Amino acid sequence: MEIGLDIFLQVVVWGLYAGCIYILLATGLNLIFGVMKVVNFAHGQLLMIGAYVTFSFFVLTGFNPYVLLAASVPILIILGVSIERLCFRPIMGTGKLNEIFISIGLIYILENVAAMIWTDEWKVIKSPFEAITVTVGSMKIPVDYIIIIITTAVTLVALYLFLKKSRLGLAVRATSQNRKAAMLVGINVERMDMLSFGIGAGLAGAAGTLWVVSGQVFNPYMGSVPAVKAFAIVIIGGLGSIPGAIIGGLLLGIAENFTVFTIGGAWKDAIAFLILIIVLVLKPTGLFGEKAE
Amino acid sequence: MKLQYAFLLIAIVVIGAFLSGCTQQQASTASGQALKIGVVASMTGPSSTTGKDVWQSAELAADEINAKGGVYVKELGKSVPIVLVQGDDESTREGGQKAVSRMLTQDNVDMLVGGFSSAVVSAHQSMVAEHNVPYIITGASTPVITRRTDVNTSFMFHHAPTTDDSGSQTTLFIDEGIRPAINEKFGYSADRPLRLAVLYQDSPYGKGHLEAVKNTISNSSLNIKVVAEESFKMGESDFRTALTSIKSADPDVVYVAAFLNEQIPIETQAMRDVDLKKIFIAIEPNDDPDFYKGVGKYGEYSIIQSRFSPYTVPKGPTEAATKKFVTDFDKKYGGFPGMMGVATYEGVYIGAKAVENAGTLNKLAVRNAIADLQMPQMVEAMKGQTINFSRDFRESKFDLTMEQLIWDPAVNETRPKIVSPQNLKETGFVLPDWFVPAKA
Amino acid sequence: MLMDEKNRVILFICLAVLAFAFLLPLATGQNAYYLTVLILMVIFIIFASAWNFLTYSGQGSLGHAAFFGIGGYISALVAMKSGLTPYLTIFFGGAGAALTGLFIGAICVRMKEWFLAMVTFGFAVIIQVLVASQFREITGGWDGIAAPPLISSSVPNYLLYEYYSILVIAVAVLLLFRYILQSKTGLAFSAIRENELEARAAGIDPVRYKLFAFMVSAFFAGLAGALEIHYLGYITPEIFGVDISFWPIIYSISGGLGTLAGPVIGTIVITLLWDGLQSLGLTYPRFIIIGVILVLVVIFLPRGLVSLPGEIRKRAPGWMAWVHKRIPR
Repeated sequence: MEIGLDIFLQVVVWGLYAGCIYILLATGLNLIFGVMKVVNFAHGQLLMIGAYVTFSFFVLTGFNPYVLLAASVPILIILGVSIERLCFRPIMGTGKLNEIFISIGLIYILENVAAMIWTDEWKVIKSPFEAITVTVGSMKIPVDYIIIIITTAVTLVALYLFLKKSRLGLAVRATSQNRKAAMLVGINVERMDMLSFGIGAGLAGAAGTLWVVSGQVFNPYMGSVPAVKAFAIVIIGGLGSIPGAIIGGLLLGIAENFTVFTIGGAWKDAIAFLILIIVLVLKPTGLFGEKAE
Repeated sequence: MKLQYAFLLIAIVVIGAFLSGCTQQQASTASGQALKIGVVASMTGPSSTTGKDVWQSAELAADEINAKGGVYVKELGKSVPIVLVQGDDESTREGGQKAVSRMLTQDNVDMLVGGFSSAVVSAHQSMVAEHNVPYIITGASTPVITRRTDVNTSFMFHHAPTTDDSGSQTTLFIDEGIRPAINEKFGYSADRPLRLAVLYQDSPYGKGHLEAVKNTISNSSLNIKVVAEESFKMGESDFRTALTSIKSADPDVVYVAAFLNEQIPIETQAMRDVDLKKIFIAIEPNDDPDFYKGVGKYGEYSIIQSRFSPYTVPKGPTEAATKKFVTDFDKKYGGFPGMMGVATYEGVYIGAKAVENAGTLNKLAVRNAIADLQMPQMVEAMKGQTINFSRDFRESKFDLTMEQLIWDPAVNETRPKIVSPQNLKETGFVLPDWFVPAKA
Repeated sequence: MLMDEKNRVILFICLAVLAFAFLLPLATGQNAYYLTVLILMVIFIIFASAWNFLTYSGQGSLGHAAFFGIGGYISALVAMKSGLTPYLTIFFGGAGAALTGLFIGAICVRMKEWFLAMVTFGFAVIIQVLVASQFREITGGWDGIAAPPLISSSVPNYLLYEYYSILVIAVAVLLLFRYILQSKTGLAFSAIRENELEARAAGIDPVRYKLFAFMVSAFFAGLAGALEIHYLGYITPEIFGVDISFWPIIYSISGGLGTLAGPVIGTIVITLLWDGLQSLGLTYPRFIIIGVILVLVVIFLPRGLVSLPGEIRKRAPGWMAWVHKRIPR
């Protein structure tokens, strides 16, 4: 199929937008992994809860849904910290696959609690800026997407500054690099665990709000696909590497859209795993991964 | 050592006994005292929204019939009430098999109605075939269901529009309703082929529609050219690239075979993001209040196929029944029952009528009565205004309507207006001002 | 002496359970519902045991539905094209799954934990797309294909015989696993699982053993899949779904990882619980209860339900003392 430049650019823009949700999820997963060396497979269910929290507050208050980030992020942070305390801390240091098993349990719990609270009908809300578009060259880009891309970028910069400039961020990074040494210099690593899990969950909550705002429909079971892809991104980018997560997220967003354009939509989910497998065969630690243990 | 394993063994036995006790309690009503109908519904899992509609509609039908004294069975010389048994297929093949076998052997149901996902139904069909229990399947859009040759499907009746029926009626409307309108408005010659793009769910439902469209075009030699075939995974939410691809193929009309949760983002993204100013077509399961709410103004002027609409009632024989059903359902459960719901509601009535005609609860006699049934249509418009099942594959034939979505400022949403068939139409099909025909 | 007695007790328990499994359908008058529950349960015992076998070698999989489904498709196709009895074609199904397992294993053999989990998960997704789209000419695409029944339904009591034959296969599979795990191979597995580097130093080739484990696990997962679809009579690409990958994990974990009895007990307890909660009308809470059980088992009972009696015995004196202290005399 012949691809004109304008279509090419258009597909890149769709990819960028789709990449934002993935990046927020993947960054959170990566932060958690860096500090705790565990993987939360139920991360997509946190996104789903974030979406429903936004929905509920929108229905109750009628606020601009972007403002509701101020609700979904804190609530998800609290939820994340509770999950860390109740489920993941007890299994720290036990068998390597245990967190996957815990996550499977969490997936069942979160999805069905959501179904009991909000029913499993598809839900959708409308952004107030829905109809506004910005013309860039030959493209019309909805202003919502621009806000979403900017929100994601700002969140990432804020996270970067927090990790690089603040004392607490330094402690998080220290724990991430060497847990034992961090403990020796007096860092309370368990607090770092809670903090990183909280931030990770908060980012998933933000992704949930952005998901809702962009006019996507959602139900309790919608979280698993984005999460599994986010995890594929984490591995493609390299476990523990946040730049890797960002580049991996953009790469996957764009690759998926080109797959739809060329091979067909049936391959959209499979392509993430094809890339994953190819990357791992060529470079077993991922694109930006540190040396394997 | 001995103690602990003995303990385990006892625990297993106790659990087993407990469970068999639980399940046995349900089979209390002696047969012959009631018409027992098993309702196969996905009460849990991804299809549970539909499952609830199915179960509640069946309940509504049973309550209505029982309020009028039940079903008269000549052989017994009296009327018996309908007793419904719920069989949750959990939206999985294994769950369906368990639910159906339980209803067949524990509850000893006289017939089954319901069934939603094609994959789930095909997995428990052989179990039903062994027991020779009439099964009125009110879901499962694929025509394969009653055309399988490896199991005996002669007790199974399909009371839902198949993808073949629904696809061919839509394609005929595109040819008879939309193609001339475009040619007329833009002054094209009458033999200009209409360019059609198909965007379909990668599932039996979506693939079935694609095949039906293509077969209808070639069998009826329609002047329609399929210029794009794009698929998407079930549950997809981002269609921008597929729509961009469709845009580059330059169609006049986009035929979408999707579920509600996909149809809404498809039409929204097409209009808002991709600037695809074409006529969009949605298939019958989408005609639901949530669709109008979700698609908002982006659905304006699009076409939706329907067999039962929340907002428009076809004038004529089905009008009163439809209004009554919708009001009663809303009064009892709150909300709109949906297509699978209404088909199951009719399915219970079909079963009751067949038992009355047969004058017995004997399953073979009831099966034959369903096969010979000539019953006036109820809520959904049927071909020939009667519910009857075809001789060859035991399918009932639906008269589907095509509606166009017109903006209604009073409710700030679009509302459907019937544009086809001729005898039911409220207004003519209009091409919106923003419509851009294909260049080629 | 103690070991001997323990073994004898275990043997006695196994025989008792088997006798119970054998007699149950007769006692319930060959009720088709109980047979359905039992047949699916035994098939999933095979499946969960096959999944569990992989963990002996220190590997894991989140995509065993791939093998389950491939086994089903190949067996259905071979049985349909050749007219052979499904009792033979299930082995073709298993062999096809084993070959796929060898291929996936070869890619995964150097990966650990999360990488392995994701790659196996991904393979299930990719294989579903392949079966539904690329190979639809032979697989029937999303419409699926019919699979011949294990025993024709014209045979009286066919369900009962299907159940018995599946039970026999399950017992044979479990005995085979026991044999392998007690042989040198089993020792090599545990050496690799504990420490791959040391195992290598001891002259064990981890790659060879890991591939072997992957193949065996895939073979019997495929066999279980083939049994299921011949029992159900129809196969569609939904068989590659995530829930099919997750069930054997849930069963094995709750029963007890790395034990032969674990997947068996886990499957029995969880399926009974599942259907029991269903008949109590707890539709959504059922999923939540299973989820909570899984979390609790991983945290508090890391060796699964099989270790429950031992744990109780270990802690019972403490509890008794606690109770005694509070009972006024």
